[in-house]
Amino acid sequence: MRRKPLRFTKSLLLYGALILLAIFMMGPFLWILSVSLMPGKNVFSSPPAIFPTFIDFDNYVQVWNYMDFPRYLMNTVIIALMGVVMNIFFSCLTAYPLAVFRFKGRDLIFALLVMTMIIPAAAGMVVNYLTVKALGLMGGFLAVVLPSAVTVFNIFLMRQAFMGMPHELRDSGKVDGASEFRIWLQLSLPIVKPAIAVIGLLEFQGMWNSFLWPMIVLNDTKQYPIASALSFLNGQFAYNFGWIAAGTVISVIPIIIVFLCTQKYYMEGVSGAVKG
Amino acid sequence: MKRTPFFTRFGKSEASVAWFFMAPGLILLALFVFWPIIYSVPLALTNYSVIGKTEFVGFDNFVKALQDRSYITSLVNSLLYVIVVPFIQIFSILMAILVNSNVKGIKIFRTAYYIPVVTSMVAVALIWGWLLNQNGVINYVLSSVGLMKERITWLSNKDTALWTLMFITMWKGLGYYMMIYLAGLQSIPKDLVEAAMIDGANRMQTIRKITIPLLKPYVFFCTLISLMAAIRVFDEVFILTMGGPGDATLTSSLYIYKQGFQQFNFGYSSALGLIVSVMIAVLSIVIFRFNRKGGVNPY
Repeated sequence: MRRKPLRFTKSLLLYGALILLAIFMMGPFLWILSVSLMPGKNVFSSPPAIFPTFIDFDNYVQVWNYMDFPRYLMNTVIIALMGVVMNIFFSCLTAYPLAVFRFKGRDLIFALLVMTMIIPAAAGMVVNYLTVKALGLMGGFLAVVLPSAVTVFNIFLMRQAFMGMPHELRDSGKVDGASEFRIWLQLSLPIVKPAIAVIGLLEFQGMWNSFLWPMIVLNDTKQYPIASALSFLNGQFAYNFGWIAAGTVISVIPIIIVFLCTQKYYMEGVSGAVKG
Repeated sequence: MKRTPFFTRFGKSEASVAWFFMAPGLILLALFVFWPIIYSVPLALTNYSVIGKTEFVGFDNFVKALQDRSYITSLVNSLLYVIVVPFIQIFSILMAILVNSNVKGIKIFRTAYYIPVVTSMVAVALIWGWLLNQNGVINYVLSSVGLMKERITWLSNKDTALWTLMFITMWKGLGYYMMIYLAGLQSIPKDLVEAAMIDGANRMQTIRKITIPLLKPYVFFCTLISLMAAIRVFDEVFILTMGGPGDATLTSSLYIYKQGFQQFNFGYSSALGLIVSVMIAVLSIVIFRFNRKGGVNPY
């Protein structure tokens, strides 16, 4: 009999802490949502606008018409998909021999790759800019995607996945006379699907949110992905709070939806990256 | 047995197939990861910029860097920024312990805490920039509760700007590290804790003797990546303060960017980048050493 009330207060305290923390983490998002739905109010009025008195979608309509959001969203989707496909393809190809083959120089290659994870090239941007320019890619989506089309981190993750593959699989493929490429494509890739999903998702999120590099290599603001467009919008209309709030919500919602639909993999991916 | 001709043998050897597989990825990495590291060195020894003739200037850029007040300030700020690292670790471990409890709806809370991680820094920085404005919600709430007499211009006051940026960085990153620690907590065998409890250990003792030691590899990993992220911090500074007021929030990455893409001093920018890269490399080697000496074994 004495245990029950104790448990009750305990769970009350626990939920209290969880809810307080949720307000801290989600509060800013809910507030911007609220601001975006306020008609013609200044967020810096006194007292500041926190809750809308009545809900109005005018900000969305206006900013949507003015900014050509479908275009920016499309740009972002194209860039993100290009990045995801390239990352999956290149890291699966590169990681596979590093995990299952035996050849001279394998360990050296791997060590070299891992070393670049420790040495961050802070000056990399300047040289990459020159490289992209020399390749004649400036002003196109390829210039945005190519420098991050394959990352050492993803190769590392895929290598871990391929290493967990049973040896017999490759041997049986060989006995059946399949080429290495077919073994890779038809026998190995299906097994590492979870890892592929993980790098796909993380890459999608990363590409969706990138803003600086696109602004450097794209000359036309009409080609900007959503995050770059948002910082551009902020520079142009810093006084029009309702618009920027609506723009911010529009930019955030798609990626949050993708996250909610795929969160199981996201979470596994983040924790798997350490355990691996 | 007849020997196969060399080319057929080579074409079928594992090594050649391996290189064939790796070639596309390695070429891209060579171009965009290795080449920048290599090419920064000769570039740093020139005065290469958009205007004027490019000349070899030797170590002038490095000498200039040491006398460049803004650069020194940016390095100090970047080092100061490292103060977020222990705070992120402490808070995210506490959060992980909190969301490790097995109660109804816990997944919703985990998701809520992770959402700042998936959203773009542009959006996050914009929102916090408004909240922290002189006439913004934070000041209003703090002063009406009576916690504050005067309204603080958090981001345009040189005494608070850097700390405010650190707070935003921490807020956005907490969920990420929480998930890693949660994975760590869940990998601790339950029977280990139960056995200790049966042997008469109390809550605090099990945390001190079992949870924390087994969490150490995770702490190491998180410390390392958050340390590098802190030294490289860019987006939030770029969007919110651009280094200001004065040079109060100028970080080394931002200064490298400013020299490269605003002043177009590519040579000088490369030299600055090299200095920071070497610093980070040394720092990570020290941490790796420290970790090995501490006798922490990933399990």
